[in-house]
Amino acid sequence: MSDVLAVNKNATAPGPARRSYSAQMLREVYLKFGARIGLAWIGVLVLVAVFAPFLANSHPLLVSEGGTRHSPLLRALTAADVSLLVILAAVLVLSFLRVAFRYKVLAFTVIALTSSLASYFLISPPQLTIYEQYREAETAGRYDWIVRTPIAYSPKDYQRDAGETGLQAPLSDPARPHLMGTDENGADVLSRMIHASRIALGIGFVATGIALVIGVFIGGLMGYFSGVVDMIGMRLVETFEAVPTLFLLLTFVAFFGANLYMMMVIIGLTGWTGYTRFVRAEFLKLRQQEFVQAAVACGLPLRSILFRHMLPNGIAPILVGASFGVASAILAEATLSFLGLGLVDDPSWGQMLNQAVQAATFNWWMAAFPGGAIFLTVFAYNLIGEAMRDAIDPYLKKTA
Amino acid sequence: MLLQVDNLKTYLRAGDRIVKAVDDVSFTLERGEMFCLVGESGSGKSISALSIIQLLPRDIATHPGGKVWFDHRRVDGSIERVDMLALPEEGKRAIRGARIGMIFQEPMTSLNPVFTIGEQIIETLQLHHPELPYSEARARAVAALEQVQIPNSAERIDDYPHRLSGGQRQRVMIAMAMICEPDLLIADEPTTALDVTVQAEILRLMKDLQQRKGTSILFITHDFGVVSEMADRLAVMRQGKIVESGKLRDVLNAPQHDYTRQLLAALPANLARTRPTARRSTPFNAVPATAETPVKPNGEQALVELRGLQVYFPIKKGVFKHTVGHVKAVDQVDMRIPQGQILALVGESGCGKTTLGRAILGLIGATGGEIRFAGDDITGLGRKAMRPYRRHMQIIFQDPVSSLNPRLTVANTLIEPMAVHGIGASKDERMEIARQILVRVQLDPEYLWRYPHEFSGGQRQRIGIARALVLNPRFIVCDEITSALDVSVQAEILQILLDLCRERSLTLLFITHNIGVVEYLADEMAVMHDGKIVERGPTEQVSRNPQHAYTQKLLAAVPRVKF
Repeated sequence: MSDVLAVNKNATAPGPARRSYSAQMLREVYLKFGARIGLAWIGVLVLVAVFAPFLANSHPLLVSEGGTRHSPLLRALTAADVSLLVILAAVLVLSFLRVAFRYKVLAFTVIALTSSLASYFLISPPQLTIYEQYREAETAGRYDWIVRTPIAYSPKDYQRDAGETGLQAPLSDPARPHLMGTDENGADVLSRMIHASRIALGIGFVATGIALVIGVFIGGLMGYFSGVVDMIGMRLVETFEAVPTLFLLLTFVAFFGANLYMMMVIIGLTGWTGYTRFVRAEFLKLRQQEFVQAAVACGLPLRSILFRHMLPNGIAPILVGASFGVASAILAEATLSFLGLGLVDDPSWGQMLNQAVQAATFNWWMAAFPGGAIFLTVFAYNLIGEAMRDAIDPYLKKTA
Repeated sequence: MLLQVDNLKTYLRAGDRIVKAVDDVSFTLERGEMFCLVGESGSGKSISALSIIQLLPRDIATHPGGKVWFDHRRVDGSIERVDMLALPEEGKRAIRGARIGMIFQEPMTSLNPVFTIGEQIIETLQLHHPELPYSEARARAVAALEQVQIPNSAERIDDYPHRLSGGQRQRVMIAMAMICEPDLLIADEPTTALDVTVQAEILRLMKDLQQRKGTSILFITHDFGVVSEMADRLAVMRQGKIVESGKLRDVLNAPQHDYTRQLLAALPANLARTRPTARRSTPFNAVPATAETPVKPNGEQALVELRGLQVYFPIKKGVFKHTVGHVKAVDQVDMRIPQGQILALVGESGCGKTTLGRAILGLIGATGGEIRFAGDDITGLGRKAMRPYRRHMQIIFQDPVSSLNPRLTVANTLIEPMAVHGIGASKDERMEIARQILVRVQLDPEYLWRYPHEFSGGQRQRIGIARALVLNPRFIVCDEITSALDVSVQAEILQILLDLCRERSLTLLFITHNIGVVEYLADEMAVMHDGKIVERGPTEQVSRNPQHAYTQKLLAAVPRVKF
């Protein structure tokens, strides 16, 4: 028998050794130039979103007042700021740990939940923020020295103390430089852009996440059981596909006012049908595969057959769809805000575009920067989606 | 000499590696001769053929050396000796189709589904004989179809390919390849995808055409049975080189090279019959003594028993999907498989043998009848109720590619069923069991940490066997487990399986279309045709002296190696 073993050892394919299918796929995505650009832009956006208060804030980073040093910025951090920072740190630490993927997911969920709950209850920033106080104190000479963030304006700092009239072109006033100008209320555009990236990323991920979970679950059951379950599920899908998302959103905003979380949930709840169709088709195909039949023949529980044996083999096209879904969710929010039905005071790229349209004169900086950001983000997700689709498509692969 | 291949080298580029697919191959082919290239998968036999007719993509394949001399007979009858490798593209086109015809393996995909077969044949003809008027070209096409024995060829010529069966399509392919009356016909595994009875007809047809038209045929196959029926001369290929060539009788009766000897020895007909014939009297201790287990008069206990089993698939039509009829995949089958026996279920594709195997395991619901396992009625049990029986009944599949989950390591594939059925107290213990079973199917236990794509077909099939074995089952359905494998790998797998059966007193339902394997392996055989079992009995008896007309036809069609 030993010589048989030796022969078999030699016969093992020498090619890419010891790499799982998903790792291989990710590698292939990463090798594509477009995907790298897309990933780089999304990466920058994530960093900007998480560190937004440290990049653009009217609260100084550090001041020395009569010999004592304190940081108004840290004191003014909100619960959302803190939990985002904790979550990013958790992701970075977990990605370097060598443990099974599902433990990582579990640990991530626990950390994310506890940190957001803890910060929600423990952190109470001052209710009323007076951005002018630091500038007044500085001119009055009360500070020995002051360290500011790179952009010294908060998104809602309307700079009334400086007599800001609004709609100042970029870098037009050397005394108070605004890299991207100011909007009609006198707030710094760059600062608003930075803080708006949170909404763009958040709505994309959360809305797509909700849609994915519902879509995979219903589609998986439909595909695996087929027959009556499939028929009922398909009617449900058709019902939801008949709902016009944008008009539903408009109606909800009209009745309940603009609420970011409600928008995420509605976009998610109406967007799952596409994923359901994908998953159903994949599962119908996979069900006939012999390894699934083998799993049934081994008497494995349904949970394992569906989510351990079938889902990982059918998830790739769904992820591709999801990357396009994130892009369209961002566009949906931008559309709403553009129509003036989005968030009122909080910064959002669509709402800034809306301001650009409503102004009497054409202020290019109000249109170009938020428009460019929306374009780049949607483009980046599309590039990633396209690279993923190429990576999983066996027909496009070079067979040489 | 029609074709002379001198030191042909074909290198294929795969990523940054160079594969020497054909490495220094030389052979000659006389006019009117049938020459067989034999070899296992990956031996370079198809690449040799594609190099001769120059169909390999130029950006992948290079010919660093060699010549392919071909006697090009022009339209005016003059003969010119040309080197296919050095010819310009127009020269190659004039020869392809006109002077060298080619038949491919897969008849289902080698005809274009959007053209009628007539259009496809006539196009080839008019391309090489533009002076022919359409009516004459059509008449010639009809004649060609007649020659390959397509009934009513004057009407069938306007049919689309989907209306023809696999065998008929292969006949059309032959007609298309022969329409310009080429001097050389290259047939690349033309019967591998066909049933044995169809294969026998196609082989007879090709032999007949070769003799009548004096066409030379380069026949590529992996099947020594086919070689023995067809070849005048043959060459055995291995890893891009010809290891032996010569006249059919000489090579079969006195093989010179070790590899040829190994190949011939690996044929099921030549495998040493090591199994004890009295195996079925071995007592089996692990059977739980159930009082109501029916004991048959002959004293043999039936482990699996089918009574009037039916699996019907409804045919639904119309808007409301009402059932208009049934496909009777399995129709009133009665069967008893005694403890410790190997029953072979033989039949051609579409006869319902796979459906029967899966219905026994409950993977396909039975529409009628009764399935009994160790005396218990398990027909139509739910998931939960079926689970205790699952560990006693396992299945091994045909396709080594799709039968393993590509996302799970071998360890995960083997350990999960054990955990579900409570075999082994801890993960380490299950790991140890998995290791032992891998060693048992002659694989390195370190393979536990690999993914399926890292293995060859034979190795995957061993993992498939290992997965069936981890639950220590009493009954295994083997669904065409060696059909996708090379003959030498098949021999190893069959040997492992036989040893396991003896060790563990396994009961097997061995589903296959390969009569050679049946004769080597099975105690009893059952012949299935159109959902019904037409004949069953001890293997020797059925294969030596078949009673039913269908069995006789089937057995007569099997190509056998005649020494």
